[in-house]
Amino acid sequence: MISDQAKKQIDAWVAKYPEDRKSSAVMEALKIVQAENDNSLSAESIQDVADYLGMPGIAAAEVATFYENYNHKPVGKHVIRFCHNISCMLNGSDDLISHLEDKLGVKTGEVTKDGLISVKKVECLGACVGAPMFQIGDQYYENLTAEKIDEIVDGLK
Amino acid sequence: MNEVCFKNLDKKDSWSLAVYEASGGYSVWRKILRGELTPEQIIDELKASGLRGRGGAGFPTGLKWSFMPRNSAGQKYVVCNSDEGEPGTCKDRDILRYNPHAVIEGMAIGGFVMNATTGYNYIRGEFIEPFNRFEGALKEAYAAGLLGENISDSGVDFNLYAHLGAGAYVCGEETALLESIEGKKGQPRFKPPFPANVGLYGKPTTINNTESFASVADILSKGGKWFADLGVENSGGCKLFSVSGHVKNPANFEVSMGTPFKDLLEMAGGMRDGAKLKAVIPGGSSTPVLTADVAMAMTMDYDGIEKAGSMLGAGSVIVMDESTCMVETLTRLAHFYYDESCGQCTPCREGTGWLYRALKRITDGNGKDGDIELLLNVQDKIMGNTICALGDAAAMPVESFLRNFREEFEYYIEHGKSMVKG
Amino acid sequence: MAKIEIEIDGKMVRAKPGEMLISVTDREGISVPRFCYHKKLSVAASCRMCLVDVEGAPKPQPACSTPISEGMKIHTQNEKSKSSQKAVMEFLLINHPLDCPICDQGGECELQDVAVEYGSDVSCFSEGKRIVADNDIGPLIQTDMTRCIHCTRCVRFGAEIAGIMEMGGTGRGDHLKIEPFLTEGVTSELSGNMIDVCPVGALTSKPFRYELRSWQMNSTSTIARHDLVGSNINAQTYKGNVKRVVSGDNDAVNETWISDRDRFSYEGLSHENRLLEPQIKIEGQWKEVGWHVALDYAVKGLTSNILNNHQSDQLGVMASKTSTVEEFYLLQKIAREIGSENIDYRLNIKNLDNTAKLESNIKLGGLEGVDHALIVGSNPRLEQPMINHRLRKASLNGTSVDVINSMKFDFNYQLNSENIIAPNQIASTLAGVLSSVLASVSIELPDYLQSIKVSKESASIAEKLNNSDNSVIVLGEHVVNAENSATIVNLIAQIAKHTNSTTLNLSTTANSLAAELTGFVPGSKGMNVNAMLESDLKAYILLDIYPEYDFHHADKAIDALNDKDNFVISLNGFKNDIVSEYSDVILPIAAFYETSGTHININGDMQSFAASVVAPGESKPAWKVFKVLADLLKLPGFNYVDSTQITEEVSHQAHNNHLHNENIDLSITSDNINIIWQQSPYSIDALLRHSGSLQQTKIGKLNFAYMNASVAKDLGVSADSKYLGVPVVITDAVADRCVFVNANKATQTGGES
Ligand SMILES: Cc1cc2nc3c(=O)[nH]c(=O)nc-3n(C[C@H](O)[C@H](O)[C@H](O)COP(=O)(O)O)c2cc1C
Ligand code: SF4
Ligand code: FES
Repeated sequence: MISDQAKKQIDAWVAKYPEDRKSSAVMEALKIVQAENDNSLSAESIQDVADYLGMPGIAAAEVATFYENYNHKPVGKHVIRFCHNISCMLNGSDDLISHLEDKLGVKTGEVTKDGLISVKKVECLGACVGAPMFQIGDQYYENLTAEKIDEIVDGLK
Repeated sequence: MNEVCFKNLDKKDSWSLAVYEASGGYSVWRKILRGELTPEQIIDELKASGLRGRGGAGFPTGLKWSFMPRNSAGQKYVVCNSDEGEPGTCKDRDILRYNPHAVIEGMAIGGFVMNATTGYNYIRGEFIEPFNRFEGALKEAYAAGLLGENISDSGVDFNLYAHLGAGAYVCGEETALLESIEGKKGQPRFKPPFPANVGLYGKPTTINNTESFASVADILSKGGKWFADLGVENSGGCKLFSVSGHVKNPANFEVSMGTPFKDLLEMAGGMRDGAKLKAVIPGGSSTPVLTADVAMAMTMDYDGIEKAGSMLGAGSVIVMDESTCMVETLTRLAHFYYDESCGQCTPCREGTGWLYRALKRITDGNGKDGDIELLLNVQDKIMGNTICALGDAAAMPVESFLRNFREEFEYYIEHGKSMVKG
Repeated sequence: MAKIEIEIDGKMVRAKPGEMLISVTDREGISVPRFCYHKKLSVAASCRMCLVDVEGAPKPQPACSTPISEGMKIHTQNEKSKSSQKAVMEFLLINHPLDCPICDQGGECELQDVAVEYGSDVSCFSEGKRIVADNDIGPLIQTDMTRCIHCTRCVRFGAEIAGIMEMGGTGRGDHLKIEPFLTEGVTSELSGNMIDVCPVGALTSKPFRYELRSWQMNSTSTIARHDLVGSNINAQTYKGNVKRVVSGDNDAVNETWISDRDRFSYEGLSHENRLLEPQIKIEGQWKEVGWHVALDYAVKGLTSNILNNHQSDQLGVMASKTSTVEEFYLLQKIAREIGSENIDYRLNIKNLDNTAKLESNIKLGGLEGVDHALIVGSNPRLEQPMINHRLRKASLNGTSVDVINSMKFDFNYQLNSENIIAPNQIASTLAGVLSSVLASVSIELPDYLQSIKVSKESASIAEKLNNSDNSVIVLGEHVVNAENSATIVNLIAQIAKHTNSTTLNLSTTANSLAAELTGFVPGSKGMNVNAMLESDLKAYILLDIYPEYDFHHADKAIDALNDKDNFVISLNGFKNDIVSEYSDVILPIAAFYETSGTHININGDMQSFAASVVAPGESKPAWKVFKVLADLLKLPGFNYVDSTQITEEVSHQAHNNHLHNENIDLSITSDNINIIWQQSPYSIDALLRHSGSLQQTKIGKLNFAYMNASVAKDLGVSADSKYLGVPVVITDAVADRCVFVNANKATQTGGES
């Protein structure tokens, strides 16, 4: 089930593409529906999106599993997407990821017991001159240090 | 420094229409709308400027624009590649954040030249702040009557939209990007046919990098020669270099082509903590790594970097000091390509996994005799055998790391631990 | 287009500019290895196996996606080509299980074949192979996705040929996995072709699983008989049994695809219900006997019941529509020699006085060239999958398709318009079309059209036909038993005549065209099937008939045949209680694959086939039984040694003594609820009904009465009840005042719908 609110958001994306190319909006539609469903996508919601855009379910599933930004397992309310690619690594991301894991008591890929936070290692996020960095939600946090991480994480609600 | 894409960087609200227009922004576009510039003139200026594609391949932009069948019937498209995902690269993000109107004007001009009435800017999914800036700028441009149908009664139509990615490096490859806009997985298409003939939705399409588009308006307002003269032979203009890694002040620098690497390093504050330079990847993770002495003697332009044995790529300079373990660094890069391969071509799908697993085994302390030959052999079998250049991109670092730092690999294999870190 | 010259391995070769290199090398017999390329699918160019050296190109080029141009020089065998090909082969094998000895594809695996030629030291891979978990994708296709080489042929087959994308590639890179979405698996009526296109053992035939190695089997080419296409197939046999069926190649008929029905029906051959011995009924007791005894008994029965008392016109003969040309021909010849013209195969028609004939005058290949199609009363995907495939191809090429049906079906192509209306309205809509067609060519309207008002829908359908240079009107099964069936058919014929449309008649299937050609229809003094059933005939010869499935008036037929005074000779392939009840002699006959014969397809092609295997037990090909029976009856002209002599004789005959009316009557406007009854696609003949795996599929399980809520209310049924013996489905997809029944047995409808 896609909410009316979500449908409205999807329709705004659909409007950007030629009329017979509704499926161009599938990437955003999946994100919108994901956001409505505790940040992860079930097979049913993928099918709903496919139906809404008039495409085969498997085609939407291909998209949902190809791109990184979709979750297929439960994740935290906040997902900390920690870059561990070359520039961040050169600047100590490995140690900082360990620090974060210790602080939260979870490994990457896991969710904290209260369901608030999960940590994911990701490839380069395109902010190499601000390495080390991570992303939470829409926001980038750059030039991280252990102290800075503590402060950011403590502020998450 | 900072003469084109970054020229307003120091101004407050540099991304606003007001600041952009105050520095001459949209003057070229208005000229076009007044009918004072022809597509041919624009292509000539671009050719004269020596602007080469800033996305990595360095293809001359003027020439690319001249390939479009502008007089063919039917819809055509211009597409901007803001998928920026090559490790080490973070310049397009700043263009979108600080100078979005330059991208809009460049795309609009492209649309006019190519006779394409619709444009899409493909922004990587994680770039929400840049996306919002770009959307804001689009709103301003529409409100100011600079975009839309029959703009200012000129008979020119141009509609521009932003498309968001969802996390896949390979979508930076231009045909994967088109597939992605079409709502499919980002699998590169085989070529021919090229996008200029069969592109987005099967229609003729021109694709350029964000920085390429952002450079166009200034080139046309100040002249192709002015731009060419900023740079050197074969590498016109200035270019954004993202300097990251073990430098004191990592940042993006817009400098003239041909600037010596050591000057660039200087601008970035030199090596951090006085450490010694060990290696440089000059153009993003896909370009071959160079040793310190070779890098220090190199100039930052297409030919200069090629002479040094690497490529300018997207201008992503990754600086490594003596504390860097090259085996672990290569393993990290191999993981990246393994993770990001779209999976359709056999050599890339299977080869990137093989490279990564073999390197992981080595860094886990389980290296074996013959592993170096194995790695060289596997990368050689990927090279040149794939649909898109991601395969080559995965192969090149392996070859260059092993060529330049072979003893570190031998040590790791033999001792089961890093020569550098112990 | 002017040809150009290119050089391949030092040899000058002529080719069309822009043609892909691989089609040139294939034509020239130059071998280039490939996995993802398939001549009937779009090019993927992703396996990279076909890389060859093109002079001047820095990198090796894939032959499957390199368009040729004048003066190109290509080396397919040099070091550069070979080393690329070997590299790809090595990559393919690192994650491929080396379990060929236990793989069902062993011996016919494209990977194995190429590996022998190109594989080298695979042993240097020591990182642990990828294992892929399998899903159950349905009763027909067995998956072993660890063996998948990601060629995506199955994915492209689904999206491009089957027209429903069921398989896809999920994940990326190393995690790319070919699989269907959710749990429904693969359900298309053409799904088995995925087995044929899969170059390795990832998708194999589930019924065939673990049976045999391909090299142990013999392959015989034969013709599938379930529909109007007569697809060319290869039956693979082992020790006298059909073990598997794969598609054959014939561009004019089935190209390289076959329907699941044609591929898997062979399973019925070995069903425990096969009839293996002749048997006669003595004083109500069945007794298995030898052929001599049985045939003597049959002759005696005929003699005492009709021949001795000069009542030869009291003989009725009927045959299943799946019979061969030879069987139809011999049985009607026996009847006519004896002196009876009571001959018919149209068992499923409610009112044979209300039929009209519509010829098919377009070939399968021609369908791809039409610019417009009007489909009336048909669900072509399930009725005639391979014909639907041609229509789909046409549609993808831009052909517009209008549909007039009584239920919305799942078309796998775009429709220009879909008119869902009851049969009466179909007649009036078509009358409107005809009226507006005639008006546009300024022909005076006949009386019956004078009072017709042309609806918007009719006008737009007429306009499409008028504006088309090359259209086709397709008539399906759903109107054959409508009250105004003849009117609908005659209107279609008239519309076609005045719009230069061709017509395609799908309303009778299997080998019906052979029945018509061989004169297996009542002669001028003869009775049709429904008349026979009313007439207390004294003797019957019934070829492969199962009344509860085959007759429209099933109950009436069973009653009539059960009459104590008649003598019934039944020839059947499968045991059946109802047949046992009314028959006096039952003769076991060969099924498909077990007899030689001829099928006539919609193109008019007479496709003859030999038997692939010998019929089991004592069962014999029916044509041989008829020959011996005729000899015993001392009828002249049955000196055949093999079936081809019969075929030869048929081709010199031209029977056309079929009466049909040209009546158009638009006055029928009863407001009865219309029942449109269609046999489920996997139940249309005895062999299919005994094919276990097909029966397990989604299509095989179609057994529903569809109607809208207001009809359900009128009929007093609800979604959890049954109507005519089948579960009710309430849906707006059905036209008002209509019930669309998909069911197996005619008896379920009480024989009277
Ligand atoms: C794997 C791969 C990733 C790429 N990523 C990007 C990218 O993020 N941004 C970009 O502009 N070009 C990227 N490219 C290059 C594009 O394919 C294309 O050449 C470029 O967008 C053309 O624009 P330009 O001529 O202005 O450089 C990539 C190429 C490959 C093979
Ligand atoms: S080279 Fe790799 S990323 Fe590029 S198309 Fe082939 S498999 Fe995909
Ligand atoms: S057959 Fe050409 S790439 Fe697969």
